Amino acid sequence: MRLAALCLALILPAAATAQSAAELVQNAVSQHIVPRYDALAAAGARLKAAAEDDCAADAQGLRAAWNDAFDAWISASHLRFGPAETGDRAFALAFWPDTRDITPRTLRGLISSADPVAGSAEDYADVSIAARGFYALELMLYDPDIQALGDAAYRCQLVQVMSADIANVTAAIASGWHDGYAETMMHADGGPYRGTDEALQELFKALTYGLEFTADTRLGRPLGTFDAPRPKRAEAWRSGRSLRNVVLSLEALRDLGVLLAAPDAQMADALGTTFDVALGDAEALDDPVFAGVADPVGRLRVESLQQSIGHVREIVRDDLGPALGVASGFNAMDGD
Amino acid sequence: MIWAPRWALRQASTRWTGTEAVASRRGFIAGLLATGLAPAATWADAGAPSWLSAAGLPDGGFVLCGIGPDLNLRFRIALPGRGHAAAAHPTRPEAVAFARRPGTFAVVIDCAAGRQTAHLAAPEGRHFYGHGAFSLDGRWLYTTENDYDAARGVIGVWDAAHGYARAGEFGSGGIGPHEIRRTPGRETLVVANGGIETHPASGRTKLNIPLMRPNLSYIEDGTVVDSAALPGSMHKGSIRHIAVSALGEVAFGLQWQGGEDGPALVGLHRRGTPPRLCTASEADLRAMQGYVGSVAFTAGQRDVAVTSPRGGLVQTYSVADARHTASTSIRDACGVAPCRGGLLVASGTGALQRIGQEAARADHAALMWDNHLVAV
Repeated sequence: MRLAALCLALILPAAATAQSAAELVQNAVSQHIVPRYDALAAAGARLKAAAEDDCAADAQGLRAAWNDAFDAWISASHLRFGPAETGDRAFALAFWPDTRDITPRTLRGLISSADPVAGSAEDYADVSIAARGFYALELMLYDPDIQALGDAAYRCQLVQVMSADIANVTAAIASGWHDGYAETMMHADGGPYRGTDEALQELFKALTYGLEFTADTRLGRPLGTFDAPRPKRAEAWRSGRSLRNVVLSLEALRDLGVLLAAPDAQMADALGTTFDVALGDAEALDDPVFAGVADPVGRLRVESLQQSIGHVREIVRDDLGPALGVASGFNAMDGD
Repeated sequence: MIWAPRWALRQASTRWTGTEAVASRRGFIAGLLATGLAPAATWADAGAPSWLSAAGLPDGGFVLCGIGPDLNLRFRIALPGRGHAAAAHPTRPEAVAFARRPGTFAVVIDCAAGRQTAHLAAPEGRHFYGHGAFSLDGRWLYTTENDYDAARGVIGVWDAAHGYARAGEFGSGGIGPHEIRRTPGRETLVVANGGIETHPASGRTKLNIPLMRPNLSYIEDGTVVDSAALPGSMHKGSIRHIAVSALGEVAFGLQWQGGEDGPALVGLHRRGTPPRLCTASEADLRAMQGYVGSVAFTAGQRDVAVTSPRGGLVQTYSVADARHTASTSIRDACGVAPCRGGLLVASGTGALQRIGQEAARADHAALMWDNHLVAV
């Protein structure tokens, strides 16, 4: 299988012309990116409405809307360039990992002083980026310490303003794609992309970044070291979403990877199969918040999932990158 | 009497106990060399290389190489993993090669004998960033390190007279210290605090981009005595690489973390004055792809050169008026250092190219030159 993929990589530059690079970019934009940001904007609007309807932290409608919108974000979270990067919008939706506990600290400050900045979503866009987005809202909805602070009416206002802010940010990203960026990327000739190859490189980077983030951060942070596992560093553990986020991100990355590998049916197949192994590991894990990292058996299974993602990363780096013509030099890839 | 900074004396007695036996034997030999009782080896004994550079090999191995003025190899010594930059001892033919971030090894190499003489392991809870610098007399080695659980930049201090035993450490003045250089003729250290928080548990993932605050810190005797930052709107320009002129002017290169192209990638700083950002046309700026991999002054120090492996480009800027003067295309260009008449540029393709008055080129096809060329 590996050898076949490698041989194909060598002949792919010829195959790639069958489905041109421009077509690949168009497919990725129209089938992968825009639908995801549209779904996110719609879910953001529903979250805002649900919070207006009932802002109680344990309100079922609110929690369901938050979970749906968070799902939509995770499925797009590898696509951090363009409209998502403008004005730090991606960070405004997702400030994680929060290594210094800035999110709870900032929320405690806002609540204890009943800061009037929560009066409107426009004002709220100026608070610390750590107090915005899905992870800050998770604390409001699922953290008992935060829920014991200050006064209920203010906490309600905060939940509503954070939801409205998420609705604004997700709508702005979707608008950015519809009002120019999709065109810019699909007909790259100047602007942010000098040519189709640069647009393709951006998509390839999104795939490699997404894989790296899921393996090294979503799994790596709770794993810590053998002597010092860190289950409480798992992503969104309070709401029980840690494993769910890994699965959703792998599904989204699988979609993008297979789409980019499409000109070579065998490579696309091999890549899809390797993703499926990782997804199978994740589904078999039965450990929604990676609590098992603290015991040897549970840890081994999380590490095994991480290794399966590592196999995906190898195919992406060794086969897909060269096939797309985006693999670059020893130093260019270094990042130091 | 060897000059020893205050922090070293303060910490020495508690830090050295574990390695005393080794340290004293090495110290004895080093002492003989220092007092001239034994014939001291010099860089001439190592074939008088002009530059050092780490490199990758086609078989996946890594080496540190000495490069002569004719661009041929003077020596080549295996490294335990991927290197980054090196530091050349000011007098002895001794070099320290540092692991690439987040590596935890550094190796001291006797370049005359062609063998490793000491191994530095980053202390528990620390990793190296890939750069280091020697004190004026070569007694102390300073390394940029990550105290990652505290997200604090640290400068580690190692005693070259005692087998490179850990002698102490002090704060770097920021997060993510990367390149460190000593001001020529002085003990002042200049550190590029890139501002980016990373933790080995999450690989090379950048953890604090929206909050990053890079700076340039000047350190004397273990204390930050001066610090310079760019305007708030440029807080995503990670100050990563620096060069220092004979007059103490610092040239710095940025790696842009923002979505939009940054307004500049190169700057100059003199203590007591605000940083000067270098200007270039929009097209010239864009061609660098937001990424400077190495910085050097040219031999006459009239220009600053920066490389971008991503853009496959070397650009020079005039020091006098901080403007772009020239661009040269070199694929995967990264290491850059002054050489007679101009600059030497090393590339991941194996090419060593002199640009300037005396153009020359040598291709080392079996070597992928890694990131930095260090002048000896």
